[in-house]
Amino acid sequence: MKIYTQTGDQGKTSLISGERVPKSHPRVQACGEVDELNAVVGALAAALPPGTEAVAAELRRIQSDLLDVGAWLSAAPGSDIQQQLTPLDPDLAGRIERRIDAMTPSLPELKAFILPGGHMSAAWSHVARTVCRRAERSAIALVIPETGGESQGEARNGLAPAIVFLNRLSDYFFVLARYLNHHTGIADVPWRK
Amino acid sequence: MQLYTVHVKGRQWLTDRIFEIRFDRPSGFDFRPGQKIAFVFEQNSRDYTLLGPAHGPELSICVRHVAGGHFSPRLAAAAPGDVFQVTAPSGFFTFKPSPRPAVFVATGTGVAPFVAFERAGVRDFHLLHGVRTAENLIYGPELAAAARAYVPCLSQPVAAGGSTVHFTGRVDAWLATRLPSGGYDFYLCGNGDMIRDVMRLIDERFHSSHVFTETFF
Ligand SMILES: Cc1cc2nc3c(=O)[nH]c(=O)nc-3n(C[C@H](O)[C@H](O)[C@H](O)COP(=O)(O)OP(=O)(O)OC[C@H]3O[C@@H](n4cnc5c(N)ncnc54)[C@H](O)[C@@H]3O)c2cc1C
Repeated sequence: MKIYTQTGDQGKTSLISGERVPKSHPRVQACGEVDELNAVVGALAAALPPGTEAVAAELRRIQSDLLDVGAWLSAAPGSDIQQQLTPLDPDLAGRIERRIDAMTPSLPELKAFILPGGHMSAAWSHVARTVCRRAERSAIALVIPETGGESQGEARNGLAPAIVFLNRLSDYFFVLARYLNHHTGIADVPWRK
Repeated sequence: MQLYTVHVKGRQWLTDRIFEIRFDRPSGFDFRPGQKIAFVFEQNSRDYTLLGPAHGPELSICVRHVAGGHFSPRLAAAAPGDVFQVTAPSGFFTFKPSPRPAVFVATGTGVAPFVAFERAGVRDFHLLHGVRTAENLIYGPELAAAARAYVPCLSQPVAAGGSTVHFTGRVDAWLATRLPSGGYDFYLCGNGDMIRDVMRLIDERFHSSHVFTETFF
């Protein structure tokens, strides 16, 4: 099958719930940002140093979870298709918390703001952290009325695990960046005013 | 990924190039009408839409024998008892009930998911079936009996005296000239060029519509 469909040449695309919307639609934007995050996680995985196989496995799992999150974000609230999507695991964020808790004890205590960077993989992890925050902001914009969000009630509950997951995930990338620097013997660089 | 082994039960030619082939149904094999399975062979796979009914002892698909193709000729040559490996059913090209009128648009064997919908009890739809010649209007009487409007669209002119009532031209020409503007649920299945052309028309004339697509090639 051809990769180009030529159905989006007039600037529109379809949500998985069927609506034709401009590609600048907030729901398309949120999906695009989760997709961007997924690509950054791929770059991070490609930059991992030796001896971090467990991290690589976790990142692959996160990439699959992000595809599920993207599918939920691209379905209009209350649409029939939502019933066909696998419900997001309510423990998505819990799993990430356990990973954070497992990495934290080995790290030196944080006493100041640190500059993003260090080992290539740690630098990518900081990029992932910031892209993740942006994806989270876009996802939240879909569900809260203050920003024109359209999801309410049940539909919003379907997205709740995704939003908590994205929130926890950026914390995970922050800790992972420190973990990867520590693992490769690179010290945190503190912020100097 | 879980694979199932299926055995050929029988095959019936619907035209000189299109056949329906039936397999035994592995236990626990459930699908939603409109879903497809993939046949796995030598690190490769090909998708085929299940015709339905969604319950019963057999699975059936309808296939165009693509001359020189990698896989469809194997199905065309298969004999009862032959074994194939298939994946679990998947896909989201399923019928979603809605207050908007449903318009199904197929080319060629792309009519398969609409047969599955119809066998699951979906009624009151418009169905446009785009084919070159009338003999390719597979499942025509069955679909016509269930549809609100069944519109065969023949891209090649018919010799005088041909008996089918049809539209001469492509499906997008019918939609552009015969379907009143408004909001519909469009389901498009078949070749990518048709899907591209109909999508363009939907964006121009029917923009409050919802659209679901399944591209065969
Ligand atoms: C979701 C999905 C569902 C599908 N369902 C069906 C189905 O129910 N029945 C079916 O016959 N095919 C279906 N197809 C197409 C099928 O998967 C194969 O592509 C087709 O059988 C050709 O495979 P092949 O290896 O013989 O040909 P290949 O060697 O892969 O040659 C591919 C070429 O064959 C032509 N072609 C492919 N499919 C068709 C077709 N259906 N009609 C006319 N020309 C074609 C195209 O020119 C394509 O470029 C489906 C495809 C998808 C993605």
